[in-house]
This record gives sequence, C-alpha cells and structure tokens, in this order.
Amino acid sequence: MLQGILTLLLFQFVGECCAKLFVLNIPGPIIGMVLLLLFLLFRKSSFNALDVTVSWLLRYLPLFIIPAASGIITQIDTISKEAVAILSSLIVGTFLALAFSAKLIDVLISRKEKTHES
Amino acid sequence: MNLDALIAYVTSTPLVWIIVTISAYKIGILVYEKSGKNTLLQPIVIAYMIMLPILILTNIPYKQYFESVSIIHFILGPATVALALPLYKNLKLIRSYFVPIVATLFLGGTFTILSALGILWLFDASTTTMLSMTTKSVTAPITIITAQDIGAIPSLAMGFVVITGLLGALFSSFIFKILRIKHDAAKGFALGLISHAIGIARAVEISDKAAAFAALAMGLVGVVIAVLLPIIIGLL
Repeated sequence: MLQGILTLLLFQFVGECCAKLFVLNIPGPIIGMVLLLLFLLFRKSSFNALDVTVSWLLRYLPLFIIPAASGIITQIDTISKEAVAILSSLIVGTFLALAFSAKLIDVLISRKEKTHES
Repeated sequence: MNLDALIAYVTSTPLVWIIVTISAYKIGILVYEKSGKNTLLQPIVIAYMIMLPILILTNIPYKQYFESVSIIHFILGPATVALALPLYKNLKLIRSYFVPIVATLFLGGTFTILSALGILWLFDASTTTMLSMTTKSVTAPITIITAQDIGAIPSLAMGFVVITGLLGALFSSFIFKILRIKHDAAKGFALGLISHAIGIARAVEISDKAAAFAALAMGLVGVVIAVLLPIIIGLL
C-alpha cells in the first residue's frame, strides 16, 4: 500500500511542478492524473499496491470533500440573492442536458449497430 | 482538576473538528445503507445536513474550521490523481462505441455548460455564480481543485455539483422512459456525464453495463472539462 501512496503523491508532485514550470492554468493534481493514466496505458497494467490504495481512497472520496464543501456557509448571501436563477439553471439545465445527452448517444449507438448488421 | 486547561485544549485542538467531520460522514454511510442505498440519501447529503447546522450553531469562523480539518482536505490531491485508475480500467469500453462516446462527450458536455449558463444569463446572475456553475457536471474532487483556478468559489461550485447529481438521478427514469432510450450503455453514459458519482450510483441500479459506461463518462468529462475550462476561461 505504501508503494501505491508513494506513486500517487509522486504523480501529484510532478503534476504540480509541470503546472508551475510550463505556466499551465490546469490544476496540478489533474496533470498528475493524466500523467498516471498515460503511465498505465504505456505499462499496459496496474499493480496490486496501487489498486489497494486507490480503492481505499475512492471509497471514502466524499469525506475528503467535506472541508471544502462546508464553505457553502460563507455563501448564504449569494445563494439567497440569486436563488431563483440558481434553482432554475440547475433544474431546467440538468433536465435538458440529461435528455439531450441520453437521446444523442442512444441514437448514435442504434445507428452504429444498424450499420454493423447490414 | 484543571477545567480551564481542559476547555483551552478542547477549543484549540484540530482533533475535535476532525472527529466531528469523520463522524458526520460515517453517519451518512450508515443512513445510506439503512435506507437500502436510496440514491437521494447519498452519504455526502446526510453529512452536509449534519455539518452545516453544527458549523452555523457553533458560530466557528469557516477559516478556522478549514484549518483544523486541512489534513482531510489534503488527501483530495492524491485522491484526484487516483481517479486515473478507474478511468484506465474503463477506457477499453471506449472502443466498442468510439464515435457515439466521443461525440456525446463533447456535444453533451458543451450543452450542459451552455444550457446552465444560458439560464443564469437570462436571470442576470453574477459572474462568480456563472463561473461556479461551469463545473456542475464534474466529479466533486475535480470541481474543488479546478474551481479555484477558474475564479469560481469552490464551495458554491460543490453545492451545484451535488444538486446536479441528485437532480439527474431523480429525473433519469422519467427521461429515459419518455425518450425511449433503448441501450443501457446510453443510459449509463448520460448519467455519468451529467450526474458524476451520484449518476454512477443510479446506473448501478440499472445494470453492470450501465454502471461501467457511467464510470467511463464521469472520468472522461472530468478530465476534459478540467483541462479545457481553465484554458478557455484564460483566453476570454
């Protein structure tokens, strides 16, 4: 498991360094994630220590976001002032986006399967 | 006995807030499991309902709370890097429907952001609110990490993420029925694309295939938005 933790921290560190060095606007951990993905694709497999660490981390992922998410208490003014705009955007936007995406990929998959049959 | 020393310790140690935060999440897991894994009773939702009243009632400055639990927040970095592994494991699914997946990823992803921003614009919402809305379909850790860099407010963006996740899961059965969505792969992909981890939880109830495509969609849209959004906003 230690090797798994070390792998993740190293990739995060390299990601943060890349962001600083190349003045990228992309967050360091995201670059680290892309680099780890490329590393796994190149290596063509994962390894046990990484699997164990990752499944542990991802199992409790929502816990790690609570500190930042709780900052919502500092935003009560913004939310109450723009409540109608925010709720409309979330409710209508999510409904339309889910409907659009689901129909789009469903039609594309159907079309692809039809061309395969003929 | 030294009561003053005890009070001084309890009010200054980060331990108290770390214990409270982990307990809130643990209670969240227990409630979620007791409810038979009801999609709308996600552990994070319960944790919110416990943490927010406590923070408001104790009147602790948010900054002080955040510093106390910064060790928990730190893990978000490596946990974001860790998302590469499930993405790697689901990436082979992309070969089965390459064009549908890539097309929906970009068109659906763009549609999600633009439709939400369009509605906010109609209501004349503030720029900060609009920026915080751009990551609403991205998984929580990527949202928090990206929000800061694009000038959004991480906690506000996070609130939008959780609500979008819940709404997508709530609307999904109705939408799939009226639009006659045939393929489980399509249902799963759309759920993961719009409703991230909560969408995956909903897709698990549909089928294994739907769950795998939901996980693929969440990983892909997270990476694409996290990489492209700061660049696009930087150009504006």
